[in-house]
Amino acid sequence: MAARFLSAAWRANEGPWAMLRAVVAFVYLFSLGPILITAAVSFNQTNRSFFPPRGFSLRWWERAFAPEWIDPLLFSLKLGSLTALLSTLLALPLAFALFRYRFRGREALVALTLGPLMLPTLVTGVGLLQLFQYIGWREYLGFAALLVGHVVICLPFAVRTVGISLHTLPPNLELAAGSLGATRWRTLRHVVFPLIKSGIVAGAVFAFIHSFTDVNLSIFLARPGQIPVTVKILGFLEFGFAPTLAAVSVITLLLPLALVAIIERVSGLGDFIYGDHRG
Amino acid sequence: MTARTLPTHWLLVAVPAAFLLAFFVLPNALLLSASFLKSEAQQLTTEPTLDNYKFLLTRSLYLEVFLRTFVVGIAVGLIDVVLGFPLAYFLVRTRSRWKGLLIALSLAPLLASVVVRTYGWYIILNRFGVANDALLGLGIIDQRIPFMPSTGAIVIGLAHALLPYTVLSIMGSLNGVNPNLESAAMSLGASRTRTFLDVVLPLSLPGIAGGFILVFSIAISAYATPAILGGPATQVAATAIYGFIMQLLDWSLGAALAVILIASSLALLYAAARFGVRRTAL
Repeated sequence: MAARFLSAAWRANEGPWAMLRAVVAFVYLFSLGPILITAAVSFNQTNRSFFPPRGFSLRWWERAFAPEWIDPLLFSLKLGSLTALLSTLLALPLAFALFRYRFRGREALVALTLGPLMLPTLVTGVGLLQLFQYIGWREYLGFAALLVGHVVICLPFAVRTVGISLHTLPPNLELAAGSLGATRWRTLRHVVFPLIKSGIVAGAVFAFIHSFTDVNLSIFLARPGQIPVTVKILGFLEFGFAPTLAAVSVITLLLPLALVAIIERVSGLGDFIYGDHRG
Repeated sequence: MTARTLPTHWLLVAVPAAFLLAFFVLPNALLLSASFLKSEAQQLTTEPTLDNYKFLLTRSLYLEVFLRTFVVGIAVGLIDVVLGFPLAYFLVRTRSRWKGLLIALSLAPLLASVVVRTYGWYIILNRFGVANDALLGLGIIDQRIPFMPSTGAIVIGLAHALLPYTVLSIMGSLNGVNPNLESAAMSLGASRTRTFLDVVLPLSLPGIAGGFILVFSIAISAYATPAILGGPATQVAATAIYGFIMQLLDWSLGAALAVILIASSLALLYAAARFGVRRTAL
């Protein structure tokens, strides 16, 4: 009702709304333009970044699928998936403790959990590099160190999403299950877990994307041969423009997009990014 | 919830807490201590000193780096609030049936790495890039302009990369503004401008402030965009830290610079928390 009235009021005064639309169109152009241009120039026939592209060629895309780029891409996928798994496993007990219990030291634990979100990722990366060198774990730089670092920076996201879904769960459900004779484990397994499943999935997806797109931490912990695709692209940019990079960029953009689209289909991920756009 | 016995919690949280202590708290403690130690011949010594801070805070080169970092942060925050507000307002109020798609499009850039998003600007701004080609083709310029490396290019790249954060933050607070308030103000005779300035803007201020602070704090510690669109003459804190640690192998100065960055970032988040602004989930 209110919305209809408002929109009638808007219509009586089309000017500002039309102006807003023009501004919004400009913002979308600013936001999506560079990404679309990147995609377009990857089809150039020459190795210059002509836009609109001159000629049409898939040779840069062919190169993007050569081992030189597929390997770091697969490395990032592996790293992201394991990060998602481990940070979800670590996040579950943390979220349960923080959102289900009141206990001494809870505030300290909240600070510890959110810490990696508060400190710049870059700083955590430097600190981890120093730690690994200091305790003589140099040989673990690369995949192992990256995994540890990514789990650290992704954990707060996973805890929050799981926490949000625990928070919206009526505690009476567990009491009811308990009073009907279910053991703690059965309650968890058959009542709580199915209800917070979408929160867990959302947390894992956030963790994956955060890991897959990270640069600030990875630049310190990667090593030749064990290098995420983002760091590899960054390294290549020093040598200037190459249409292959544009193609690789588009691939790294499409992967998380596809993942989110699939998961959104399965279990309403949008609710966790943006509260009530359905309401 | 009823309080349950203590041991259960400790069992629940022991593993993740130990993990965070070992791989988050300990590294940062090491970093903090390194900033107070002397480095010699690319090795950290055990000799305590304040020289690292003195060095960074007195050389005009590094003062310039701090200033540039700070200016970039503020500029990016302002640009993103100015661009993000109309978009957020539109997305919250529109009755278009494409609303869901429009929201998804405005947030989709978050799914791409900052490297990828900045790469687009590299393609546009470099000497032989799209912008130069276009301006030459239109006859506006007759010589190629080096748009980058420059501080301006860093600002544009970061503003582009971080825009979705202000949109999310402002949408969050506009969602809480009942549209009835606007119609009420207008039906009581307030002009559109007055309604906006006196009703909509004050009510969405927490989202605006939150978005600004979030973007500012990410921008001052961003590495990729300044590394791609800037150069040796346009260093910011993050690129300088990288240079100290990965190229000069000077842990002391790198650590001290990192501590200064943390301190300014935490001070800001603390101030923000006091004003009731919180970092959003993404």
